[in-house]
Amino acid sequence: MAPWMASGLIYSSSLALLAGSITIINITTRTFNFAVASMATFGFYIAFTCVELYGGYPYQYYPLVALFGSFLGLVCYFGLNRHLLRRKAADITLMMSTLGYDLLLLSFIQMYVDYLSFTYRLFPRRVTMNIYDFELFGVRAAAIILPIVALAFLVTLHIFLTRTKFGIAMRATIENPVLAGASGINSDRVYMVAWIIGGGMASLGGAFMAMAITGTPVMGMYTIPLMFAGAILGGLNSLYGGMIGGFLIGVTEYAGVFYLSQRFGPWVQGYRMAIPLMLMAVTLLFFPRGLAGIPLGKVWRGLTGKKRGASL
Amino acid sequence: MLKINNLNSGYGKLQILFDLNIDVPEKGITVVVGPNGAGKTTLLCSIMGIAKVFSGDIIVEDKSLEGETTHNLAKQGISYVPQMGNVFAELSVMDNLQMAGYLTPKAEANEKAESMTEIFPVLKKFIKRKAGTLSGGERRMLAIAMGLMKKPKLMLLDELSTDLAPIIAEKVMMEVARLRDELGITILMVEQMAQRALEIGDTAYLLVSGEVRYAGKADDLLNEPQLCSMYLGIKPEEETIADVEKPPLKGSE
Repeated sequence: MAPWMASGLIYSSSLALLAGSITIINITTRTFNFAVASMATFGFYIAFTCVELYGGYPYQYYPLVALFGSFLGLVCYFGLNRHLLRRKAADITLMMSTLGYDLLLLSFIQMYVDYLSFTYRLFPRRVTMNIYDFELFGVRAAAIILPIVALAFLVTLHIFLTRTKFGIAMRATIENPVLAGASGINSDRVYMVAWIIGGGMASLGGAFMAMAITGTPVMGMYTIPLMFAGAILGGLNSLYGGMIGGFLIGVTEYAGVFYLSQRFGPWVQGYRMAIPLMLMAVTLLFFPRGLAGIPLGKVWRGLTGKKRGASL
Repeated sequence: MLKINNLNSGYGKLQILFDLNIDVPEKGITVVVGPNGAGKTTLLCSIMGIAKVFSGDIIVEDKSLEGETTHNLAKQGISYVPQMGNVFAELSVMDNLQMAGYLTPKAEANEKAESMTEIFPVLKKFIKRKAGTLSGGERRMLAIAMGLMKKPKLMLLDELSTDLAPIIAEKVMMEVARLRDELGITILMVEQMAQRALEIGDTAYLLVSGEVRYAGKADDLLNEPQLCSMYLGIKPEEETIADVEKPPLKGSE
C-alpha cells in the first residue's frame, strides 16, 4: 500500500469519527458542536502524553482517550448546553456557546502543552505520532487498525440504536421529544448520553488524526471545516451518513491531492482542503439532503436496469 | 381525580388560558369542546408540563403537579396522546409500543404490547412496519394503544378524530368509551367532533377564547341549542353519521 493511501485511510477514519460526533450531538440536541475541534486536539495530546510517559503504542491508550473525550462532552453538556436547552435557546445560541467552550479548551490545551514542555521536557508543539506506530503485514498498523476501529464503532452504534431499549429511546427522542417525554423517556438523559458518545468520538477521532498529520495545539482548529463538511455531506440528520460523509471527505482529499499533484504539479497541495469541499458542494447541488437523501434504491435500479417491483 | 384551579397558562409571554377551573371525576370521560383557538390543546399541554403555567394549581389525586417534568408525569400514570405527532413515524409499530411502555420491564412491556394487539387487531398485522407508513386511522389506534401501554390512571386525549374518515372516527370514539367502561380509566378528552364526544362523555366543558363558557353534564350541553350552534356547529335537527350507525354504548342513553 502506497504511503499516501495508508495516511488517507487513517485520516478518513478520523474524519468519519469526527463527523459522526458532530452529527450525533446535532441530531439529539440541535447543537453544532464547534468544540469538537479542541476535543479532538485534547484526544491527541492524551494519547501523546501516555505514550511518552508510559511507553507502548498509542492504540492501548485509546479507551482512555475516549473516556476523556466523554468527560469533556459531559462538562459541555452540564456546564452550557443543558441550561440553554431548558431555556429553549435558539440554534445559533447553542452553536455559539460551543464556540466559547472551544476557545476555553484551546486555552487549556496551550497551558497543557506548556506544562508538558517545562515539566517533562517534551516537544509537544509539533508531534509526529506515526513514529510510535509499527508495521503490520508490511503496512503501517494504523492503516489497518484505525479503519477497523471506525467501522466497529459504526456497527456498535447501529446495534446500540436499533437493538437496545435505550438506543431506540434515543431515536424516539430525536424524532419527537414531546412524545418521548410523554412516554416516560427522560430526554435529559438521552442528551447526556449523546454528549458522552459524541465527546468520546471526537477525542478518539483526534487521536486517530494525529497518526496521519502533524499534531499541533491547533490541529483541530485547522481541520474543523472538513469535520463539518463530512457531517453536512452525510446529511446532518443521519449518524451513518455523517460517518460515511466524513470518510469520503478524507478519501477525496488524499486521493484528489495525489492525482491532481501528479497531473498539475505540487502546488496543488496548497489547495488540498478545497478538493473535498468541492465534492461536498457538488453533492449538495444534486442531493440537498446530502448522502442521506440519495435514493439508493432508485440508483440501484438505474444501474442494474431493473424496474420497481421486477422479480429476479 | 384531576382538579384545575384558576389556571392561567400559555407559551412564552402569550397567555392562552384565563382562570380556568376544571374538575375531572374518576373513571369518567370529561370532554372539553370549543372552537379552534379556544385553548383546548394548551390545557392538555399545561397539565403535561409542556406549556408554561403562569399561575393556578393542577392537582392529581391531591398532589400538585407544579414543576413536574413530562417524563415524571408519565411515571405517575398520566398518559398523553397528542393530536399531531402521536406516534414515532421512524420506528416500527412494535418499537412504538415498546417505547410507550418504556417505564415497564421489557418482559412486561412485551406482554402488554401483545395484549394491545388483541385490543387493536389491526396493529398485529403491521407490527414490524414503520408507524409512518400506517393510515391515519391505524395511527390513531396505535397512539391510543401507546397511551394504554402505561396502564394509566388518567388519559389525556387530544382531538382523536382529527383527519379521520367519519366511520373510523366513530370507531375510535367507541374504543374510548370502552376504555372507561371496561378498564375504568379516567379520561380527559379534547375534541372537535363535538356531537359524538358529548354523547360518550359524562362531564363537559365548553372552552371559548381560553375561558370556560359551560361546565356541567355532557348530555345537558347538547340541550343548549344556542351554545351548540354558536360554538360547536351542531344544529339540533342535523343528523350525523353517528346517529345513523351509532352502536349502543354503556352509559349513554
